[in-house]
Amino acid sequence: MIHIVTDSTSDFTQAQAEELGVTIVPLVVRFGDEQFRDGVDLTADAFYRRLTTGRTHPSTSQPSPEEFSAVYESLLRSRDDSVLSIHISGKLSGTLQSAHIAAQQFDAGRIHLVDSETVSGGLQLLVRAAVEDVRAGHDFETVSGTATRRRSRVGLYVLLDTLTYLHRGGRIGRAQAMLGSLLNVKPLLTTDHGEVAPQARVRSRNRGLDMIVDLLRPRAPLRALAAFHAGAPELVDQICTRLAAAFPDTEVIVGQVGPVVGTYAGPGGIGVAYLAR
Amino acid sequence: MGLRAALAWLQTNQQEVNDLNVFPVPDGDTGSNMYLTLRSAVEEAQEAPNPDQVDSVFAAAAHGSLMGARGNSGVILSQILRGFAQGVSGKRTLDVHSVAHAFREASNVAYRAVMKPTEGTILTVIREAAEAAEAAAGETDDIRAQLARVVKESHAAVERTIDQLDVLRDAGVVDAGGFGLAVAFEGFSHAVDESDALPVGVTAMRRSTEPRVRSPSLAPAGGVDTSAAAQRRGAAAVAARDEGWGYCTEFIINGPGLDLEAVRDELSALGDSVLIVGDSETIRVHIHTEDPASLIAAASRRGSLTKLKVEDMTAQHHEVLERAVAAELAPPVPRKQLGVVSVAPADGFGDILRSLGADQVVPGGQTMNPSTEDLLNAVQAANAAKVILLPNNSNVILSAQHVDEVADNDLTVRVVPTRNLPQGISALLAFDPGADLESNVLRMQAAMSSVRCVEVTRAVRDSTANGHEIKEGNVIAIVDDDITDVGADYAAVIDSVLAAQAPAPELVTVYRGEEPSEQEAEALVASLRTTHPDVEFELHEGGQDHYPYVLSLE
Repeated sequence: MIHIVTDSTSDFTQAQAEELGVTIVPLVVRFGDEQFRDGVDLTADAFYRRLTTGRTHPSTSQPSPEEFSAVYESLLRSRDDSVLSIHISGKLSGTLQSAHIAAQQFDAGRIHLVDSETVSGGLQLLVRAAVEDVRAGHDFETVSGTATRRRSRVGLYVLLDTLTYLHRGGRIGRAQAMLGSLLNVKPLLTTDHGEVAPQARVRSRNRGLDMIVDLLRPRAPLRALAAFHAGAPELVDQICTRLAAAFPDTEVIVGQVGPVVGTYAGPGGIGVAYLAR
Repeated sequence: MGLRAALAWLQTNQQEVNDLNVFPVPDGDTGSNMYLTLRSAVEEAQEAPNPDQVDSVFAAAAHGSLMGARGNSGVILSQILRGFAQGVSGKRTLDVHSVAHAFREASNVAYRAVMKPTEGTILTVIREAAEAAEAAAGETDDIRAQLARVVKESHAAVERTIDQLDVLRDAGVVDAGGFGLAVAFEGFSHAVDESDALPVGVTAMRRSTEPRVRSPSLAPAGGVDTSAAAQRRGAAAVAARDEGWGYCTEFIINGPGLDLEAVRDELSALGDSVLIVGDSETIRVHIHTEDPASLIAAASRRGSLTKLKVEDMTAQHHEVLERAVAAELAPPVPRKQLGVVSVAPADGFGDILRSLGADQVVPGGQTMNPSTEDLLNAVQAANAAKVILLPNNSNVILSAQHVDEVADNDLTVRVVPTRNLPQGISALLAFDPGADLESNVLRMQAAMSSVRCVEVTRAVRDSTANGHEIKEGNVIAIVDDDITDVGADYAAVIDSVLAAQAPAPELVTVYRGEEPSEQEAEALVASLRTTHPDVEFELHEGGQDHYPYVLSLE
């Protein structure tokens, strides 16, 4: 049996993960000495309340190799079992590094690791597509190879309210050049080869949302879209209205960005991921 | 015991390791992660089933570190400990050959653990440490000498990391994880030195900033980390150079009846990088000092000295200085591909434009139009091969368009004909330093037409314009060059301008001129917020004369 493993930055709800049969390895969020497993011990709602009202700024860390070993061991019970493990970009987190160390303890070929080169909705779309491939009855080699190649058809645009959180968390990448504006500027970012890259600076949310749709148009035809908000559900409604008008035949998966990704996005962010056909 | 000392020493230096952290992500937690990982190793090692056997202790430590590994450097540290544990497996005690073998195993396991091994990181340091351990094993039977060499070579490897990774070179720092590992080895080595006679309570005291920051002038240039932390490091480098490096001085004070705290208080005042450990019988001292004679004199009043060693650090110091001087003499910042020059009538607008990425701001506007030469000078000062020029006033566009003709052949100047400051700011926001000249010109032209500019002033004489009777002293609003509204006060006129917009603007940025006070402007914006609750307002200081208010509508 082919098992699919991902990490909590895919922002699946527990119910979704169960329904799809995907195993989620949680990253860790810390507020000072308090430690939470992403999405397990700390819900997104509770997290954003703390993020905006609490005095301690959260930090995050990758799962330990041991946690991955335990998951892989529980899944690789018989000789027919194999694991496709798809994770957050290695340039944003050491999660894949831990998975890699754990995978060394198992026979070669039983575990296939994929660096999604993206995060959140982008990662989730890759995982969902892999689940569909497994359900379609493809063998492990095919499913693994397809998952790796599919990365080139996935993209992510993120409109943040502020760069403060990304900067504080050290994940700002090339968007560094956007810092320091005296005017209130909202950064529109993308991921480029797994790194955060600047796309545009906009002065208003509506213009940013319009721009996301304009950026998506040349990517059509689209197989799926995902719209994820960071503590700002109204933004999902606003983008979905635009997406429904521009891509009436494409399914839009909506959700909320979990604590680990939210640590860097900050409240008021919205991300739209696409999977092109 | 050695592990405990390594932990204590790493804890002491944790913040310094954090501050160096720029690779792979500059989140400043490398020191904390390594400390917490090693702490978990030590806790487990203390519970080892056979505490007298080396292999049992290391196996427990490796397990503990793996359980507690945090962050990339913590994970790699745990793999290094796992390698050690494999290397000493089956050994009850250690000799130089088994130590060398353990280091080699540690290096191998660490390299295997990383998907894309990168030189100039903790990996380089463990590999060079292993090489040092092996070389020493061929020359000596003394583990202490062997470990001393490992420490020395580890630190040397750390110093070289700055030249091995671009991101480190740009930030002007050495690798944080590598430094953390060298610090851990250092603590371990000191503890082993003491282990025959002393119950080891290593207390690391003050430790100066060693020469691991190259040149402060380089720190912001790479664009990797221009944070306050980087500037602190830069400042530290200057201070450290002023202090000089002096002599690395080490000796043992022999008792009986030594007062550790008193010795520590007295001697630590005489230098840097102070490490003073021991008990009433024996105290080991390690200090970097400018004046070893005074230090030795002071110490010899406490007891007899043995194992005295004074090492001139000037050679090392010179090397650092030479590197710093070379960096300062190096050609200035290389020419950029693409730059932006903007015209602004006052400091307020100038600061805003610079904060959005303008390389140069030329003073000028409605009443003082800059000359083509003024513009040319600024374009040259932008130090770029291609420059986009934003005139930001209809009266400046023409002279701007002549700049390209008079500029040198290797300098291309393109004008995005912004007629006012809101257009200029909007165009600048669309600038992408990573894209080429042509696509930027197109983007910026498209962006400039997405804003409306409203200039608000008082009429200086009676007149008629655009069908409006205007009396001297009336407030008039000019929307994109046409007088559209006339009234008695600013709030009423701006209010009617906003009400006439269809569709209604989403964001209105109010730039306060020289004339209204901050309080007046805030009161105006507050009243506009009540009359236009769906519009977002932002107030900034533009500093312009003649127009008390300039508004940008988007």
